[in-house]
Amino acid sequence: MNKISMTQGVLLMVATLSACSTTPRSTTLLDSTRQQYQIVQNNPRIAQLAPIEMRQADDAMVLANNAASNNESREEIDKLAYLAGKKIDIAKEAAKQKNAENKIANAGKERDEMRLDQRTQEVKQEKNRADQAVYAAQVAQVNTQTAQQKVTALSVELADLKAKNTDRGIVITLGDLLFGTNDVRLNPDGMHELQKLATVLQVHQQQTLLIEGHTDSTGGSAYNLQLSERRANAVSSALQLMGVQRARITMHGYGEQFPVSDNSTAENRQMNRRVEIILSDDAGYIVNR
Amino acid sequence: MLTAHPQASNLLRLILASSFFAYIFTISACSNLQTPATADVAVSTSAVNGAAAVGGGEYAPAEMRSAREKLVQANTAMAAHDYQAASDYAAQAQADAKLAQTKVSSTKAQQAATALQEDIRVLREELNRVNNK
Repeated sequence: MNKISMTQGVLLMVATLSACSTTPRSTTLLDSTRQQYQIVQNNPRIAQLAPIEMRQADDAMVLANNAASNNESREEIDKLAYLAGKKIDIAKEAAKQKNAENKIANAGKERDEMRLDQRTQEVKQEKNRADQAVYAAQVAQVNTQTAQQKVTALSVELADLKAKNTDRGIVITLGDLLFGTNDVRLNPDGMHELQKLATVLQVHQQQTLLIEGHTDSTGGSAYNLQLSERRANAVSSALQLMGVQRARITMHGYGEQFPVSDNSTAENRQMNRRVEIILSDDAGYIVNR
Repeated sequence: MLTAHPQASNLLRLILASSFFAYIFTISACSNLQTPATADVAVSTSAVNGAAAVGGGEYAPAEMRSAREKLVQANTAMAAHDYQAASDYAAQAQADAKLAQTKVSSTKAQQAATALQEDIRVLREELNRVNNK
Protein backbone atom coordinates (compact mmCIF):
# COMPACT_ATOMS: atom_id res chain seq x y z
CA MET A 1 0.00 0.00 0.00
CA ASN A 2 1.62 3.28 -1.02
CA LYS A 3 1.46 6.57 0.84
CA ILE A 4 -1.05 8.22 -1.45
CA SER A 5 -3.57 5.40 -1.41
CA MET A 6 -3.33 5.19 2.38
CA THR A 7 -3.96 8.92 2.71
CA GLN A 8 -6.91 8.66 0.33
CA GLY A 9 -8.26 5.78 2.38
CA VAL A 10 -8.06 7.75 5.59
CA LEU A 11 -9.78 10.71 3.96
CA LEU A 12 -12.55 8.48 2.62
CA MET A 13 -13.16 6.97 6.03
CA VAL A 14 -13.23 10.35 7.74
CA ALA A 15 -15.59 11.71 5.09
CA THR A 16 -17.93 8.73 5.43
CA LEU A 17 -18.22 8.96 9.22
CA SER A 18 -18.05 12.75 9.58
CA ALA A 19 -21.73 13.21 8.72
CA CYS A 20 -22.64 12.26 12.29
CA SER A 21 -20.56 14.83 14.09
CA THR A 22 -22.37 17.90 12.71
CA THR A 23 -26.04 16.93 13.47
CA PRO A 24 -28.15 19.28 15.65
CA ARG A 25 -29.60 18.12 18.97
CA SER A 26 -33.21 18.59 17.85
CA THR A 27 -35.40 19.19 14.81
CA THR A 28 -38.61 21.12 14.20
CA LEU A 29 -40.56 17.86 13.95
CA LEU A 30 -39.07 16.54 17.20
CA ASP A 31 -39.92 19.80 18.98
CA SER A 32 -43.57 19.72 17.85
CA THR A 33 -43.77 16.00 18.69
CA ARG A 34 -42.47 16.73 22.18
CA GLN A 35 -45.19 19.36 22.57
CA GLN A 36 -47.85 16.86 21.48
CA TYR A 37 -46.45 14.33 23.91
CA GLN A 38 -46.54 16.89 26.71
CA ILE A 39 -50.23 17.60 26.04
CA VAL A 40 -51.09 13.90 26.06
CA GLN A 41 -49.09 13.34 29.24
CA ASN A 42 -50.94 16.19 30.96
CA ASN A 43 -54.19 14.31 30.37
CA PRO A 44 -54.12 11.31 32.75
CA ARG A 45 -57.38 10.00 31.21
CA ILE A 46 -55.50 8.98 28.07
CA ALA A 47 -53.05 6.76 29.95
CA GLN A 48 -56.01 5.32 31.91
CA LEU A 49 -58.15 4.58 28.89
CA ALA A 50 -55.40 3.46 26.48
CA PRO A 51 -52.49 2.18 28.60
CA ILE A 52 -50.93 -0.04 25.91
CA GLU A 53 -51.02 2.61 23.21
CA MET A 54 -49.65 5.18 25.67
CA ARG A 55 -46.75 2.91 26.58
CA GLN A 56 -45.94 2.48 22.89
CA ALA A 57 -45.99 6.25 22.49
CA ASP A 58 -43.70 6.59 25.55
CA ASP A 59 -41.23 4.10 24.05
CA ALA A 60 -41.25 5.81 20.64
CA MET A 61 -40.71 9.18 22.29
CA VAL A 62 -37.73 7.81 24.25
CA LEU A 63 -36.17 6.47 21.03
CA ALA A 64 -36.57 9.86 19.31
CA ASN A 65 -35.16 11.75 22.31
CA ASN A 66 -32.22 9.32 22.55
CA ALA A 67 -31.45 9.82 18.87
CA ALA A 68 -31.36 13.55 19.51
CA SER A 69 -29.13 13.36 22.56
CA ASN A 70 -26.80 10.92 20.75
CA ASN A 71 -26.43 13.53 18.05
CA GLU A 72 -27.70 11.23 15.37
CA SER A 73 -28.59 12.52 11.91
CA ARG A 74 -31.44 14.95 11.41
CA GLU A 75 -33.10 12.37 9.15
CA GLU A 76 -32.80 9.65 11.81
CA ILE A 77 -34.28 11.94 14.47
CA ASP A 78 -37.15 12.96 12.17
CA LYS A 79 -37.93 9.35 11.30
CA LEU A 80 -38.23 8.46 14.98
CA ALA A 81 -40.09 11.68 15.78
CA TYR A 82 -42.57 10.91 12.98
CA LEU A 83 -43.23 7.45 14.41
CA ALA A 84 -43.55 8.87 17.94
CA GLY A 85 -46.02 11.48 16.67
CA LYS A 86 -48.20 8.81 15.07
CA LYS A 87 -48.13 6.68 18.20
CA ILE A 88 -49.20 9.69 20.27
CA ASP A 89 -52.12 10.24 17.86
CA ILE A 90 -52.97 6.53 18.08
CA ALA A 91 -53.04 6.75 21.89
CA LYS A 92 -55.39 9.76 21.70
CA GLU A 93 -57.73 7.97 19.26
CA ALA A 94 -57.65 4.75 21.27
CA ALA A 95 -58.60 6.73 24.39
CA LYS A 96 -61.52 8.32 22.51
CA GLN A 97 -62.59 4.88 21.33
CA LYS A 98 -62.43 3.43 24.83
CA ASN A 99 -64.35 6.39 26.19
CA ALA A 100 -67.08 5.87 23.59
CA GLU A 101 -67.18 2.15 24.37
CA ASN A 102 -67.59 2.96 28.06
CA LYS A 103 -70.50 5.21 27.15
CA ILE A 104 -72.03 2.36 25.16
CA ALA A 105 -71.63 0.01 28.11
CA ASN A 106 -73.14 2.63 30.42
CA ALA A 107 -75.99 3.15 27.99
CA GLY A 108 -76.95 -0.48 28.52
CA LYS A 109 -76.78 0.03 32.26
CA GLU A 110 -78.70 3.27 32.02
CA ARG A 111 -81.37 1.59 29.94
CA ASP A 112 -81.68 -1.20 32.52
CA GLU A 113 -81.97 1.37 35.30
CA MET A 114 -84.61 3.20 33.35
CA ARG A 115 -86.55 0.01 32.84
CA LEU A 116 -86.32 -0.70 36.58
CA ASP A 117 -87.45 2.86 37.37
CA GLN A 118 -90.40 2.38 35.07
CA ARG A 119 -91.34 -0.89 36.75
CA THR A 120 -91.06 0.79 40.18
CA GLN A 121 -93.20 3.64 38.93
CA GLU A 122 -95.83 1.23 37.63
CA VAL A 123 -95.85 -0.70 40.89
CA LYS A 124 -96.19 2.58 42.76
CA GLN A 125 -99.09 3.66 40.58
CA GLU A 126 -100.69 0.25 40.99
CA LYS A 127 -100.27 0.54 44.77
CA ASN A 128 -101.76 4.03 44.72
CA ARG A 129 -104.77 2.71 42.87
CA ALA A 130 -105.08 -0.17 45.34
CA ASP A 131 -104.70 2.24 48.29
CA GLN A 132 -107.39 4.44 46.84
CA ALA A 133 -109.67 1.44 46.45
CA VAL A 134 -108.99 0.41 50.06
CA TYR A 135 -109.65 3.97 51.20
CA ALA A 136 -112.87 4.12 49.23
CA ALA A 137 -113.93 0.81 50.79
CA GLN A 138 -113.09 2.15 54.25
CA VAL A 139 -115.07 5.32 53.61
CA ALA A 140 -117.99 3.23 52.40
CA GLN A 141 -117.73 1.04 55.48
CA VAL A 142 -117.65 4.06 57.77
CA ASN A 143 -120.70 5.45 55.98
CA THR A 144 -122.48 2.15 56.40
CA GLN A 145 -121.50 1.99 60.06
CA THR A 146 -122.71 5.55 60.58
CA ALA A 147 -125.98 4.69 58.92
CA GLN A 148 -126.33 1.58 61.06
CA GLN A 149 -125.47 3.56 64.17
CA LYS A 150 -128.16 6.07 63.26
CA VAL A 151 -130.69 3.30 62.79
CA THR A 152 -129.55 1.75 66.07
CA ALA A 153 -129.84 5.13 67.80
CA LEU A 154 -133.30 5.56 66.38
CA SER A 155 -134.42 2.14 67.56
CA VAL A 156 -132.97 2.88 71.02
CA GLU A 157 -134.93 6.09 71.18
CA LEU A 158 -137.99 4.14 70.09
CA ALA A 159 -137.38 1.34 72.58
CA ASP A 160 -140.20 2.61 74.76
CA LEU A 161 -142.51 2.05 71.85
CA LYS A 162 -141.38 -1.57 71.62
CA ALA A 163 -140.07 -0.82 68.15
CA LYS A 164 -138.69 -3.80 66.30
CA ASN A 165 -135.90 -3.89 63.72
CA THR A 166 -137.21 -5.96 60.83
CA ASP A 167 -136.24 -6.56 57.20
CA ARG A 168 -138.54 -3.70 56.28
CA GLY A 169 -136.96 -1.29 58.80
CA ILE A 170 -138.15 -0.18 62.24
CA VAL A 171 -141.69 -1.28 62.89
CA ILE A 172 -143.85 0.04 65.73
CA THR A 173 -147.01 -1.86 66.46
CA LEU A 174 -149.95 -0.05 68.05
CA GLY A 175 -152.07 -2.80 69.57
CA ASP A 176 -155.85 -3.00 69.86
CA LEU A 177 -155.75 -1.89 73.51
CA LEU A 178 -154.58 1.57 72.44
CA PHE A 179 -157.79 2.16 70.54
CA GLY A 180 -161.22 2.93 71.97
CA THR A 181 -163.58 -0.05 72.11
CA ASN A 182 -165.48 -0.22 68.83
CA ASP A 183 -163.72 3.03 67.92
CA VAL A 184 -161.22 3.85 65.22
CA ARG A 185 -159.66 6.58 67.33
CA LEU A 186 -156.80 6.09 69.78
CA ASN A 187 -157.50 6.17 73.48
CA PRO A 188 -155.35 8.39 75.79
CA ASP A 189 -152.77 5.61 76.23
CA GLY A 190 -152.49 5.35 72.44
CA MET A 191 -152.13 9.11 72.12
CA HIS A 192 -149.38 9.00 74.72
CA GLU A 193 -147.45 6.34 72.77
CA LEU A 194 -147.91 8.24 69.55
CA GLN A 195 -146.61 11.42 71.15
CA LYS A 196 -143.32 9.63 71.95
CA LEU A 197 -143.02 8.68 68.29
CA ALA A 198 -143.81 12.21 67.13
CA THR A 199 -141.09 13.60 69.42
CA VAL A 200 -138.51 11.20 67.97
CA LEU A 201 -139.61 12.09 64.44
CA GLN A 202 -139.02 15.78 65.20
CA VAL A 203 -135.36 14.94 65.60
CA HIS A 204 -135.15 12.48 62.72
CA GLN A 205 -136.56 14.56 59.93
CA GLN A 206 -135.35 12.27 57.13
CA GLN A 207 -137.63 9.40 58.01
CA THR A 208 -140.95 8.96 56.33
CA LEU A 209 -143.74 6.74 57.67
CA LEU A 210 -145.93 4.03 56.29
CA ILE A 211 -149.02 3.48 58.41
CA GLU A 212 -150.69 0.12 57.88
CA GLY A 213 -154.06 -0.86 59.31
CA HIS A 214 -154.83 -4.52 60.06
CA THR A 215 -157.86 -6.36 61.47
CA ASP A 216 -158.87 -9.88 62.55
CA SER A 217 -161.02 -12.10 60.40
CA THR A 218 -164.27 -11.44 62.26
CA GLY A 219 -166.86 -9.79 60.00
CA GLY A 220 -166.83 -9.18 56.25
CA SER A 221 -163.60 -8.54 54.52
CA ALA A 222 -164.91 -5.30 52.93
CA TYR A 223 -165.85 -4.04 56.37
CA ASN A 224 -162.48 -5.11 57.75
CA LEU A 225 -160.64 -3.35 54.90
CA GLN A 226 -162.56 -0.18 55.60
CA LEU A 227 -161.96 -0.50 59.34
CA SER A 228 -158.20 -0.93 58.81
CA GLU A 229 -158.08 2.14 56.58
CA ARG A 230 -159.98 4.24 59.09
CA ARG A 231 -157.66 3.24 61.94
CA ALA A 232 -154.60 4.00 59.83
CA ASN A 233 -156.16 7.32 58.93
CA ALA A 234 -156.85 8.09 62.58
CA VAL A 235 -153.20 7.47 63.49
CA SER A 236 -152.08 9.62 60.59
CA SER A 237 -154.36 12.48 61.70
CA ALA A 238 -153.09 12.21 65.27
CA LEU A 239 -149.47 12.37 64.16
CA GLN A 240 -150.20 15.38 61.97
CA LEU A 241 -151.74 17.11 64.95
CA MET A 242 -148.48 16.37 66.82
CA GLY A 243 -146.42 18.15 64.12
CA VAL A 244 -145.49 15.44 61.63
CA GLN A 245 -145.92 16.75 58.07
CA ARG A 246 -148.54 15.10 55.89
CA ALA A 247 -145.93 14.63 53.15
CA ARG A 248 -143.98 12.22 55.36
CA ILE A 249 -146.94 9.91 55.84
CA THR A 250 -148.29 7.15 53.61
CA MET A 251 -151.30 5.08 54.67
CA HIS A 252 -152.62 1.69 53.71
CA GLY A 253 -155.45 -0.51 54.97
CA TYR A 254 -154.96 -4.23 54.54
CA GLY A 255 -158.00 -5.57 56.39
CA GLU A 256 -157.53 -9.18 57.47
CA GLN A 257 -154.87 -10.03 54.80
CA PHE A 258 -151.79 -10.05 57.02
CA PRO A 259 -152.55 -11.58 60.44
CA VAL A 260 -149.68 -11.97 62.91
CA SER A 261 -151.30 -15.09 64.35
CA ASP A 262 -154.31 -17.30 63.57
CA ASN A 263 -157.72 -16.00 64.48
CA SER A 264 -158.76 -19.07 66.53
CA THR A 265 -158.75 -17.44 70.01
CA ALA A 266 -159.89 -14.07 71.31
CA GLU A 267 -156.35 -13.33 72.39
CA ASN A 268 -154.96 -14.03 68.92
CA ARG A 269 -157.69 -11.97 67.30
CA GLN A 270 -156.80 -9.08 69.54
CA MET A 271 -153.15 -9.33 68.37
CA ASN A 272 -154.26 -9.22 64.77
CA ARG A 273 -156.24 -6.00 65.36
CA ARG A 274 -153.39 -3.50 65.15
CA VAL A 275 -151.81 -0.56 63.34
CA GLU A 276 -148.17 -0.90 62.26
CA ILE A 277 -146.01 2.13 61.69
CA ILE A 278 -142.96 1.43 59.50
CA LEU A 279 -140.12 3.95 59.57
CA SER A 280 -138.14 4.51 56.41
CA ASP A 281 -134.33 4.61 56.15
CA ASP A 282 -132.51 7.98 55.99
CA ALA A 283 -133.27 8.24 52.28
CA GLY A 284 -137.00 7.99 52.96
CA TYR A 285 -137.30 4.54 51.43
CA ILE A 286 -139.72 1.91 52.69
CA VAL A 287 -140.21 -1.64 51.43
CA ASN A 288 -143.88 -2.08 50.65
CA ARG A 289 -145.68 -5.31 51.38
CA MET B 1 7.96 11.49 7.06
CA LEU B 2 5.88 8.66 8.34
CA THR B 3 7.84 6.06 6.48
CA ALA B 4 11.15 7.15 7.95
CA HIS B 5 10.47 5.16 11.10
CA PRO B 6 9.70 1.50 10.54
CA GLN B 7 8.03 1.10 14.02
CA ALA B 8 5.86 4.08 13.43
CA SER B 9 4.93 2.65 10.10
CA ASN B 10 3.86 -0.61 11.73
CA LEU B 11 1.74 1.26 14.27
CA LEU B 12 0.09 3.22 11.50
CA ARG B 13 -0.66 0.01 9.60
CA LEU B 14 -2.28 -1.44 12.70
CA ILE B 15 -4.41 1.67 13.20
CA LEU B 16 -5.39 1.71 9.56
CA ALA B 17 -6.26 -1.97 9.55
CA SER B 18 -8.46 -1.72 12.63
CA SER B 19 -10.09 1.44 11.29
CA PHE B 20 -10.81 -0.36 8.05
CA PHE B 21 -12.49 -3.20 9.93
CA ALA B 22 -14.59 -0.73 11.82
CA TYR B 23 -15.54 0.96 8.61
CA ILE B 24 -16.45 -2.33 6.94
CA PHE B 25 -18.45 -3.27 9.98
CA THR B 26 -20.36 0.01 9.86
CA ILE B 27 -21.12 -0.27 6.15
CA SER B 28 -21.83 -3.99 6.25
CA ALA B 29 -24.85 -3.46 8.47
CA CYS B 30 -26.68 -2.31 5.35
CA SER B 31 -26.14 -5.47 3.33
CA ASN B 32 -27.93 -7.66 5.92
CA LEU B 33 -31.06 -5.48 5.93
CA GLN B 34 -32.77 -7.10 2.95
CA THR B 35 -34.66 -9.80 4.86
CA PRO B 36 -36.03 -7.58 7.69
CA ALA B 37 -36.92 -4.84 5.18
CA THR B 38 -38.91 -7.34 3.10
CA ALA B 39 -40.75 -8.41 6.22
CA ASP B 40 -41.38 -4.78 7.27
CA VAL B 41 -42.85 -3.92 3.89
CA ALA B 42 -45.05 -7.04 3.95
CA VAL B 43 -46.36 -6.20 7.44
CA SER B 44 -47.04 -2.61 6.41
CA THR B 45 -48.84 -3.69 3.24
CA SER B 46 -51.07 -5.91 5.32
CA ALA B 47 -51.68 -3.10 7.85
CA VAL B 48 -52.63 -0.65 5.08
CA ASN B 49 -54.97 -3.17 3.45
CA GLY B 50 -56.53 -3.96 6.84
CA ALA B 51 -57.17 -0.29 7.57
CA ALA B 52 -58.67 0.19 4.10
CA ALA B 53 -60.94 -2.83 4.59
CA VAL B 54 -62.56 -1.45 7.78
CA GLY B 55 -63.26 1.92 6.13
CA GLY B 56 -60.04 3.88 6.58
CA GLY B 57 -60.62 5.65 3.25
CA GLU B 58 -63.94 6.97 4.55
CA TYR B 59 -63.14 7.71 8.20
CA ALA B 60 -59.41 8.68 8.01
CA PRO B 61 -58.65 9.72 4.41
CA ALA B 62 -55.55 11.80 5.21
CA GLU B 63 -53.89 9.01 7.19
CA MET B 64 -54.74 6.45 4.50
CA ARG B 65 -53.27 8.64 1.76
CA SER B 66 -50.08 9.11 3.77
CA ALA B 67 -49.86 5.37 4.50
CA ARG B 68 -50.21 4.49 0.81
CA GLU B 69 -47.59 7.07 -0.23
CA LYS B 70 -45.16 5.72 2.33
CA LEU B 71 -45.80 2.19 1.15
CA VAL B 72 -45.07 3.19 -2.45
CA GLN B 73 -41.82 4.83 -1.30
CA ALA B 74 -40.92 1.68 0.67
CA ASN B 75 -41.44 -0.47 -2.40
CA THR B 76 -39.42 1.96 -4.54
CA ALA B 77 -36.58 1.80 -2.01
CA MET B 78 -36.78 -2.02 -2.01
CA ALA B 79 -36.46 -2.04 -5.78
CA ALA B 80 -33.42 0.23 -5.47
CA HIS B 81 -31.95 -2.16 -2.86
CA ASP B 82 -32.02 0.66 -0.29
CA TYR B 83 -33.23 -1.61 2.48
CA GLN B 84 -32.73 0.83 5.34
CA ALA B 85 -34.97 3.38 3.61
CA ALA B 86 -37.45 0.66 2.74
CA SER B 87 -37.70 -0.36 6.42
CA ASP B 88 -38.07 3.25 7.51
CA TYR B 89 -40.86 3.98 5.03
CA ALA B 90 -42.53 0.69 5.89
CA ALA B 91 -42.47 1.61 9.60
CA GLN B 92 -44.02 5.00 8.80
CA ALA B 93 -46.65 3.45 6.54
CA GLN B 94 -47.49 1.02 9.33
CA ALA B 95 -47.83 3.82 11.89
CA ASP B 96 -50.12 5.75 9.51
CA ALA B 97 -52.21 2.65 8.83
CA LYS B 98 -52.52 1.87 12.56
CA LEU B 99 -53.61 5.44 13.22
CA ALA B 100 -56.17 5.21 10.39
CA GLN B 101 -57.54 1.96 11.79
CA THR B 102 -57.76 3.36 15.32
CA LYS B 103 -59.57 6.42 13.95
CA VAL B 104 -62.09 4.16 12.21
CA SER B 105 -62.79 2.20 15.41
CA SER B 106 -62.90 5.36 17.48
CA THR B 107 -65.28 7.17 15.10
CA LYS B 108 -67.58 4.17 14.85
CA ALA B 109 -67.67 3.75 18.62
CA GLN B 110 -68.38 7.44 19.11
CA GLN B 111 -71.19 7.35 16.55
CA ALA B 112 -72.70 4.30 18.23
CA ALA B 113 -72.45 5.96 21.65
CA THR B 114 -74.11 9.14 20.41
CA ALA B 115 -76.91 7.18 18.74
CA LEU B 116 -77.50 5.12 21.90
CA GLN B 117 -77.57 8.17 24.12
CA GLU B 118 -80.03 9.83 21.77
CA ASP B 119 -82.23 6.73 21.89
CA ILE B 120 -82.12 6.79 25.67
CA ARG B 121 -82.97 10.48 25.76
CA VAL B 122 -86.00 9.93 23.53
CA LEU B 123 -87.09 6.90 25.56
CA ARG B 124 -86.76 8.81 28.83
CA GLU B 125 -88.79 11.68 27.42
CA GLU B 126 -91.46 9.23 26.31
CA LEU B 127 -91.59 7.51 29.72
CA ASN B 128 -91.79 10.84 31.52
CA ARG B 129 -94.68 11.80 29.28
CA VAL B 130 -96.50 8.54 30.00
CA ASN B 131 -95.79 8.65 33.75
CA ASN B 132 -96.97 12.25 34.10
CA LYS B 133 -100.30 11.59 32.47
